Amino acid sequence: MTRPAGILPTIPPGLRLAFATAILAAVWLVVLPTVGRHPAVERHVRLMEACDVNPSAMVYTELEHLPLRPDWIERHLVLWPTGN
Amino acid sequence: MATDRGADARRRGFHEDSAAILIGVALVALALFIGWSGRPTEDAASRKAFPKGWPNRLSATIDKPQTWSDAPRQALVVIDKKDPTKVKPVSIPILLGMTWVVGILAAGTLLRGRSLPEVLPGACFLALLGGLAYLMAAQKVINYYNLEYPLWALLVGLVISNTIGAPKWLEPALQGEFLIKAGLVVFGAEVLFSRLLELGLPGLLTSWVVTPIVLVVTYLFGVHWLKIPSKSLCMVIAADMSVCGVSAAIATGAACKAKKEELSLAIGLSLLFTVAMMVVMPPFIQWAEIDPIVGGAWLGGTIDATGAVVAAGEMLGKNLDDKRPAEVAATVKMIQNSMIGIVAFAVAVYWAGWVDRDASGPKTSLAAEAWRRFPKFILGFIGTSIVCSWLFTMSPELALLVDGAINGFTSRLRGWLFCVGFICMGLQTNFRELAPTLASGRPLILYCLGQALNLVLSLAMASLTFGWLFRQGVTP
Repeated sequence: MTRPAGILPTIPPGLRLAFATAILAAVWLVVLPTVGRHPAVERHVRLMEACDVNPSAMVYTELEHLPLRPDWIERHLVLWPTGN
Repeated sequence: MATDRGADARRRGFHEDSAAILIGVALVALALFIGWSGRPTEDAASRKAFPKGWPNRLSATIDKPQTWSDAPRQALVVIDKKDPTKVKPVSIPILLGMTWVVGILAAGTLLRGRSLPEVLPGACFLALLGGLAYLMAAQKVINYYNLEYPLWALLVGLVISNTIGAPKWLEPALQGEFLIKAGLVVFGAEVLFSRLLELGLPGLLTSWVVTPIVLVVTYLFGVHWLKIPSKSLCMVIAADMSVCGVSAAIATGAACKAKKEELSLAIGLSLLFTVAMMVVMPPFIQWAEIDPIVGGAWLGGTIDATGAVVAAGEMLGKNLDDKRPAEVAATVKMIQNSMIGIVAFAVAVYWAGWVDRDASGPKTSLAAEAWRRFPKFILGFIGTSIVCSWLFTMSPELALLVDGAINGFTSRLRGWLFCVGFICMGLQTNFRELAPTLASGRPLILYCLGQALNLVLSLAMASLTFGWLFRQGVTP
């Protein structure tokens, strides 16, 4: 059995774009909101929102809170290198 | 004759790198100037009063779509976390953000001596597509599982190029490399070397010893053992896996002149593994009963993306009812963030001096040859980084000025420039060129083996520094 040749090229480009757009719209407007209502996903999202975390931050400047040196590391720096 | 040559050069305009440097530096300077001119009169040196730096008036001119769950229109408003009845629309700043992109493309076009009317329609369309990509990335499931906007920007571009193809009128505006370079020069302001000093020795050791080793070994492994034909692909995969994901991939990809397809592939790999590691590593650390602080440092040293590191640290901390894993994870990753400039500069020098060198070409000194091939925009990137790092150390007031300029303006602008840059890449990407390499599975093998080495070395170094050497210091 051979694959029907040239099916894709025969679809007009405009229709191909409409088809791809429809798939993306269905994923973003139907599938993802449905996935978002799954208890495990919902729990994860709620935890991130409660902690004010932006997991999609590319670098630290995009985080909701700039991570500053925690106090306990500061104490360590005072201790080091004397080793007290 | 010299005058003729000068006039000719003016007609031809600036080189792409020079234009990117000029625009990037001007934008950072503008943000600092506006921040300084609107400096607060009270508590100007107080980090407590201004945790994200001094407010910058330019922040009203740029924003991106907010997270949304069911309806995209939710992305156009910011809901106050403390008082959900307070709602602030952000449609105007989003539109203005798009306008910044159009303006920068227009300025770049003029500086490079090209025709502005040919570029403007395409630039407007690209900015709208950038808004669409940001909107896709802002969907809550996507956002909270760290599938960052470059992936969706590439997808938007790829959908168009593989259905109707990039229209002719759009072609003059497809200046993805220029946008990425200008974005990197602006990004330099965020790469503050001086922050390293704030973050403590255990984190420094964990990041600075392991990261270069993993980067170099992974690259050599890809080139010499897996025999991946493209050295730049090996370098981009090694950098995004060992340093800090997408941002490192963008910077090193530009430094070693990686192809668009290579950068896209490396970013795709990095994001997929990041999601998996963010979900799997916290329960594994808990199951293996690894010390929470060591576990936090391990997360920071191995998960590629910054946001995902903090998210994984919070997940681990929540399970153990301990804040320290998230703090350590963020600290280690932040140090890796600060390494991007040095890594990109080192890669650019290595590429210009050794990899790209033409052995059969005319014999010139290594320095002259390296300078000729060196991607000059890296100097703009390093320059803005050095100046902002220097300002950051000068006084508490100037540190708040720099932070305000970054958080209020440059970081958002850099995001828009990268986003539209990736749309251009998607519109021009031809994965057929990479098909043989992809089919061999070698890039995936390289990523997996490099990440395995990263996991082992990072755990060893985190155990050594946070678990033993400085244990007294990190125990509250």
